Amino acid sequence: MAAMTAMLYRESKIRATNVTFMFWDFLYPLFNLLVFGVGLTAAFGSPHSTEGVDYNSFFLAGVLGMASFAIASNSAWSFFLDRDNGIFYEMLTYPMSRAEYLLGKLVFNIGIAVVQAALTIGVGAAVLGISLRFDLFGALVAGIVIGTAGWFFFYTILALKIRRNDVFNSVTSALYFVFLFFSSMFYPLTPLPKLLRWVAMANPLTWEIDLLRYGSIGLGHPRQLLIETAGFVAFAIACFAFAIHSLHQE
Amino acid sequence: MPDFALEVQDLGKTYRATRGRLGRDTGVIRAIDHLSFAVPRGAIFGLLGPNGAGKTTLLKILSTLLRPTSGRVSIEGIDALAKPLDVRRRIATVIQETAVEMFLSVRDNLLTFARFHGIDSDEARRRAGRVIELFGLGGELERKVQDLSGGFRRRVQVAKAFMVNTPVLFLDEFSTGMDPILKRSVMESLREENSRGRTIVLTTQILSEAEELCDDILILNKGRQVARGNMNDLKLLSQGMYELVLTFDVLPARIEAEIAALNPIRSHVSGNTIELSVKTEDAGAIELVGRLAKLGRVLHVEIRGASLEDIFVELTSNG
Repeated sequence: MAAMTAMLYRESKIRATNVTFMFWDFLYPLFNLLVFGVGLTAAFGSPHSTEGVDYNSFFLAGVLGMASFAIASNSAWSFFLDRDNGIFYEMLTYPMSRAEYLLGKLVFNIGIAVVQAALTIGVGAAVLGISLRFDLFGALVAGIVIGTAGWFFFYTILALKIRRNDVFNSVTSALYFVFLFFSSMFYPLTPLPKLLRWVAMANPLTWEIDLLRYGSIGLGHPRQLLIETAGFVAFAIACFAFAIHSLHQE
Repeated sequence: MPDFALEVQDLGKTYRATRGRLGRDTGVIRAIDHLSFAVPRGAIFGLLGPNGAGKTTLLKILSTLLRPTSGRVSIEGIDALAKPLDVRRRIATVIQETAVEMFLSVRDNLLTFARFHGIDSDEARRRAGRVIELFGLGGELERKVQDLSGGFRRRVQVAKAFMVNTPVLFLDEFSTGMDPILKRSVMESLREENSRGRTIVLTTQILSEAEELCDDILILNKGRQVARGNMNDLKLLSQGMYELVLTFDVLPARIEAEIAALNPIRSHVSGNTIELSVKTEDAGAIELVGRLAKLGRVLHVEIRGASLEDIFVELTSNG
C-alpha cells in the first residue's frame, strides 16, 4: 500500500509539472463534446437516428470512453520517458511488486479520469442540457474505473513490448482509428453494415461505452450490458496479467 | 542472522545472440558462467573487470532486475529468485545509467525516493537536509533535474541512495561524471555508511577507487571469476610483477624497440620518462633497469611492486 501511495505521489508531482498533459487529460474530451457534439447535433440532430435521444446525449458516453482511452495511452507513453531517464529500471529495484507498480499508476489515472468525467458531465448537463440518470451513477463510475484500467493495462503491454517511441506512436495512432471508429462511440451500431457491426460489437471499447451510456443517460439493455461488462472485465484482467508478465521480462 | 550479506551459487546467465534485421540466431552469449562467491556482512566488496566482463549483468541479477538462467542468489539470507520483493526491501541500487526524475526538483527527487522506501515525510526531510549538504546540492534544490548538468544529475542519483538505510547498497560505477572533490567526499561517506554495518557492493573501472575503498575484490572476465581476495591476496598473485619508472635526460632513439623486446604487460612513454610493468624475477627487474640504462643517461629510477591495475591487466588479458 505504501508503494502505491508513493507511486500516486510521484505521478501527481510529475503530471502537475506538465500543462500540456493537463490539457489533454481534462479539457480535450470536453472540447470534443462541445465542438463535435454540438456541430453534429445541429447538422443531423434527429433523435430517431440516435436511439431516441439527441446526439449530444448519445455522444456523452463516447466522449467519456474517448477520455479513458486517451488518458491510458498518454500514461503508457510515459514509460518511454521513464526509460529514457533511466528511472524506469531503477524503480524496478524499489521495494514494490510489479503489480503494485502498475496499480499505483492506475489509481492515479483513475483519479484523472474521474475528475475529467465530472467536468464533462457537469458541462454537458449545464450547457447542453443533457438529462442524466443519477440513479444509475454506480454503473457510470464502474464504467469509468474498469474502462480506464482495461485500456491502461492494454497500452502498458504495447509500451513495454515496443522498444521504440516512434513505433509506439504509429501503432497507437492506427489503434486509435480502429478502436474509435469501429465502436459505438460516434454512432449507434444498428444501422451499420453487417460486417462493420460485427467488428464493432467485438470491440472492447464498444462494451465500455455501452456501459457508460447506460450509466449516464439510461440507454441500453441490461442483459446485453451484463455480458459486455463481463467481457470488458475479462479483457482488463487478461491485460493486467500480461502487463505484469511483460514487466517481469524487462 | 546470516553471516553473509550476499551468497551466489553456481550462477549462470546466457542470452540468445541475434544478428541482422531479421534477428538471425547466432548462438548463445554466456554473460555469467558458473559463478560462486559469498560476501560477508559489512564488507565493501568490489567487482572489477573489463568491459563486457559481466559486472553489470551480475549487479542486475543481485538487485532483482534480471533473472539468472541457472544458479542461486540470496541477499541477507533471502532467496532473490523466490522472494524478490523481500530482497528489494533490503537493498538500494545506483544503476550504471543516469536514473533521475527529470521533471521533478532535486528536493522532490530525494523525497520521492524516500517515500518509495516507506520513510515518513518528516524523517525524509530530516535525512534530505544531511544528504543535500553532503552532496553540495543546496544551491540547486528547487531546480528541475532536467535543467542540471550531467554531473549534477549523477550526483542527485547517488544522493538518493543515502536517503535510506537498507542493509545492502549496490553501486554500478557510481563516480561516473563526478569531480574529484565530490568523489572523495562520497567515498568518505561510503566508508561511514559501511562503518555503520551497511554492506556495499560496487563495480568500477577506476582501479584506484577499488584499491582505496574495497576490502574484498572479485575480478571477473568473460563472466568467470579470475581472482578474489583483499589487496594483499591479489598482490600475491603479482609475484614477479614490477612497475619500472625511468627518466632519461634525453629519450634514447631505440627506446620503443627496446621496450617492445621486454614484452611488458603495459608501457607508457611521457616526455623523457618511461613507465612499464613487467613480469620477471627479483634480480631480473634490476637487470632490466641496467639494460635500459645503457641506452642513455638516466636521471631517476623507481622499481615498485605491482599495482592493482597491473594485476588486473595481467589477469584479464590472459582470457
